[in-house]
Amino acid sequence: MQRIGKILLVLPLLGPGTLAVAACGREGTAPAAPGMEASVVMNMDLAQEDRFGLPAIATVFIPTSLKDAYNRAAPSGDVATFKSLIVEKLMAFGQDATSANALASALTPDIQPIDLSQPTGFLNGRKLDDDVITAELGLIFGSNADLNDDHVDANDKPFLATFPYLAGPHVR
Amino acid sequence: MRRLVTLSLVLVAAAAIGVTRWTNASDHRDSALLAADEAADIADVYTFRSPTNPDNLVLVMTVSGFIPPAEASTTFFDPNVLYQWKIDNNGDAVEDLVIQANATGSAGDQTMHFRGPAAPAQTGVVNRVIRGATQIAVPVSNGASPIVGANRGIKVFAGVRDDPFFFDLARFKEIVGGLASSFNNPGTDAFAGTNVLALVIELPSAMLGGTKLGVWGTTSRLQL
Repeated sequence: MQRIGKILLVLPLLGPGTLAVAACGREGTAPAAPGMEASVVMNMDLAQEDRFGLPAIATVFIPTSLKDAYNRAAPSGDVATFKSLIVEKLMAFGQDATSANALASALTPDIQPIDLSQPTGFLNGRKLDDDVITAELGLIFGSNADLNDDHVDANDKPFLATFPYLAGPHVR
Repeated sequence: MRRLVTLSLVLVAAAAIGVTRWTNASDHRDSALLAADEAADIADVYTFRSPTNPDNLVLVMTVSGFIPPAEASTTFFDPNVLYQWKIDNNGDAVEDLVIQANATGSAGDQTMHFRGPAAPAQTGVVNRVIRGATQIAVPVSNGASPIVGANRGIKVFAGVRDDPFFFDLARFKEIVGGLASSFNNPGTDAFAGTNVLALVIELPSAMLGGTKLGVWGTTSRLQL
């Protein structure tokens, strides 16, 4: 309440931009009561720092020098900006140009597709227990049995049958 | 041929992934910037039809990977970060709807605020908190018992959980580093025994405006 009073006091002196800064500083003031809105992110421009669509795609295919740019980009630009890098890597992994192009097209834009009329399972959505790494190693390395399966097939803790589905934390 | 492929793997993957960051996994700590900003570092995103209600969709985002058991109850969300699922329902790779979450409070007394699904005022890489959309606030779970928030057919959760991801990351690193040429069988799950901060929402699929959807997760941060 005191905060609001202060802001009202300075309101006539400041433009809208400075008001927003004054009201939403980075000091991270705790709310007066749990659940109350005292968020520092309200009414502020927030810049994307990371994004995630398909598992491990950025990790495997995007060079370190471009990772921050990739993480800060919108997927609508992926085909134009990043697809050629994926094709190059796949061809370096031993795929011919046709299959490399086809797979790169399936992996861009970097979005997790799901058709709700079909059963869920990677690459149609992603379930918690889907072995996505082995699926992707298979896409990249085909029949090369040394490299197409990491032989870790399941999570270390059973998932829950009901919401929130993820297993409870490991605690000491 | 196998030697050639392996050699290519070593050279290309080493160049692709970079030798300085070996903690890369599904997407855990996937750049130098994000390694220094774990609260905004997305580990994984999952999208699946609810096993308990076929009319519902479940969206999961995990962040801040590799939380050891000793830190399970003392690792918190960052109030300066906006966590979002973005949903494209017409195939143009631009978000038509967003679901947003941001934390308030501090330390062991945080509340997560979920908004949406709703159309965002701005698409793309600079976003704001949507106003006037449905909001569900739920206390962040710092312990083993999940606290679930619910309203209008939507359920939400935010808090520490076991990392659902599994992968023989150590062997993968050996292969990429040229120290091995094949995976072990059985492999060793590098994520066994580690935790993440998880955001989970289950909602009626009918709220998402289509049957063919594209989903991705983003984190956005207040800029200085």
